[in-house]
Amino acid sequence: MEAVEVEGLHAGYGATPVLVDVNLTVPAGEGVCVVGENGVGKSTLLRCVSGLQEIESGRITVFGGDPGATPEFWRAVVTTVEPPTWYPGLTAREHAELVCRAHGQDPAEAGIDEALERFGLAKHADAIPPSLSSGQKQRLVLAIALLRPSSLLILDEPEQRLDREGRADVAGLLADYMAGGGSLLMASHDDDFAIASGAAITTMESLSAVAG
Amino acid sequence: MTTVPLAPVRRWILRTQSAHRERGATLSSLYIGVLTVAIIGGMLHRQLAEVFWPPHPDASGLAGASLTALCYGLLYLALRRFGPLALSRAAASWLLTAPVSRRSLLMPSLRIAAAVAAVIGALMGVAIVGHTAPRTLIGDEIALLTAGGALLGLILLLIATAAQAGGRWGAAVDTLMSLVFAAGFAGLVIDTTLDEPVAVTAWPPAETLVPLVAGVAVVVVVILALAVRGLARTPSDHILDASRTAGTLFDTAFGMEPSFLTDMIERRYWAGRRLRSIRLPSRLPVLVAQDIMLTLRRRRRLVWLVFAAAFPLLLGNAPAWIVGAAVLLGSLIAAMTATGNVRTDAGNAVLLRLLGLSSRQAVLQRLWVPGVLAALWSALALTALDLLGDLPSGPWWALGLALGPVGAAAAVHRARAGFVRNDLLPLDTPMGTLSTGPLVNAVMGPDMLLLGLPALVEIAQGNPLSPTTVLVQAVVGVIGARAYLSGTTDTNRTELHR
Repeated sequence: MEAVEVEGLHAGYGATPVLVDVNLTVPAGEGVCVVGENGVGKSTLLRCVSGLQEIESGRITVFGGDPGATPEFWRAVVTTVEPPTWYPGLTAREHAELVCRAHGQDPAEAGIDEALERFGLAKHADAIPPSLSSGQKQRLVLAIALLRPSSLLILDEPEQRLDREGRADVAGLLADYMAGGGSLLMASHDDDFAIASGAAITTMESLSAVAG
Repeated sequence: MTTVPLAPVRRWILRTQSAHRERGATLSSLYIGVLTVAIIGGMLHRQLAEVFWPPHPDASGLAGASLTALCYGLLYLALRRFGPLALSRAAASWLLTAPVSRRSLLMPSLRIAAAVAAVIGALMGVAIVGHTAPRTLIGDEIALLTAGGALLGLILLLIATAAQAGGRWGAAVDTLMSLVFAAGFAGLVIDTTLDEPVAVTAWPPAETLVPLVAGVAVVVVVILALAVRGLARTPSDHILDASRTAGTLFDTAFGMEPSFLTDMIERRYWAGRRLRSIRLPSRLPVLVAQDIMLTLRRRRRLVWLVFAAAFPLLLGNAPAWIVGAAVLLGSLIAAMTATGNVRTDAGNAVLLRLLGLSSRQAVLQRLWVPGVLAALWSALALTALDLLGDLPSGPWWALGLALGPVGAAAAVHRARAGFVRNDLLPLDTPMGTLSTGPLVNAVMGPDMLLLGLPALVEIAQGNPLSPTTVLVQAVVGVIGARAYLSGTTDTNRTELHR
């Protein structure tokens, strides 16, 4: 079964078409990285696959089913395409622990502290996320997304706001994720990062039958 | 650094702004304002007279002293919460950063704050004198006491202004004033249970009051002058904070959207806290554990809730159904201590998706802690009424516990209410057009308190409480909360909204 299959997808905002006849396949256990200029519709495509944006026509399946609002879907899929919100009075570390606990992981074994360390957040473990900088918040989301179990990661420019070393680390983590059977769909501006993660690179133009 | 004179800048801003308004817009706003006050005053003049100057004094000396502590403590806390010195958001952005005299920039704010504090202080003075003083007092004495009230308001304003400009002692004064407020509240509760005689006969005569009030007035004027001289020393960040508060208040009033204000208060509260990560209790369902942690981090609010359980006692003279309604509303407020998380989820389900929980699981788990809080609070309030008030015999604490599910369902429903809907049709009434959005939003939450009807009827009737009523209330509460859960959530949906 393919992880993601998109056929003849049309989507847009109001009268502005953003995606015109887009086709995409992400095989299970593999990764696809969509590259392209700002505004070509990479994030819109990821939002459609996550079921967070209505499509005008076409078909999207994720692991053979509709992308949707069901808890089963969200147990399999993690996405970072939305700006995060945070619970009041809960520290960065406690957010990570909460997510791990909700997925039945033992917080002690899930490697929360290592993950925070890796993303440069170890010193901010006791901070409440709204007090972090926007870059730190994004890294926290990424850290939590990689901590919890999932079958498909949908990441929007995960390399953003990471330094060179951090990028290499995250690319390695994504490669490990796919080696462990996970599938990956991401948008990126950094070809080197995409290559290092082991994802197949494709452009938005090549996905669109009309443009291609 | 050269200082640019501020007055011409302000005049220019005013002139430019008024050029964009319609001719006579200010006059018509003034007219509508005065008319509104006149209409409301005309409608409520009897109630207002009862509040400020009842036909006969009806409070004891203890009640008078407690009222003084309660009212002026509250005035101080309110002044601190709103600044007291604040600028409009536009002025905070453009004038605070400009090379203008800080003192003249803040003077209008100080003038307004002083006028408000003095007027409120005077009104409180009138009301307290009206309830406690014998009617033998002559006009001079009443005027002097009212002036004293206004001066007390000004003193509180000066302390609050100094606290805004000053260092850590401000927090200590805030705590002290909270204690004064709490002591006033406790005094009122004790007074209702003691039934002390309404007999304050020995009021100081005008000969004593004149030098006292005059002396205080001189001191206030001197300190006010010093405060004006030191006005420029108020730190910018404190003024910016107050300006944000003022701006949010304006948005809340103008957009009729109370969540702006509650969100701001919550954000500020947590931004000011230093937390240490702890392990979530592992034996409980994960969201219940999170709610417990959130509640335990709000200990001060829990202490206030315990205090507030005595509030229904103060309604001893009111009809019994009002006491019952106060208990129900109190259980809702107590339960709302723990609904911050469900409010976050209702606003945006990002985290629920990350947690991979269904809306049914989430809301079920989120009902527990509010339920326990509501049950304990109602039990406490009804026990206090039973012991110190005049409830007939019966296991009232059990009825309180039975109200837990009611408070929980109401609080969670309230937390899920979200923004005011402004797309609802307005109602045309003889009094004018009424927008329904804010009304509908305001009753979301309290409407679930109808599940507490058995308890309300029981309290209103004043009959001895039977275990059957407790059982009926428990069953109605649990079935109602269960129906709310299955009616508004789904095992197949993450989003809390449909």
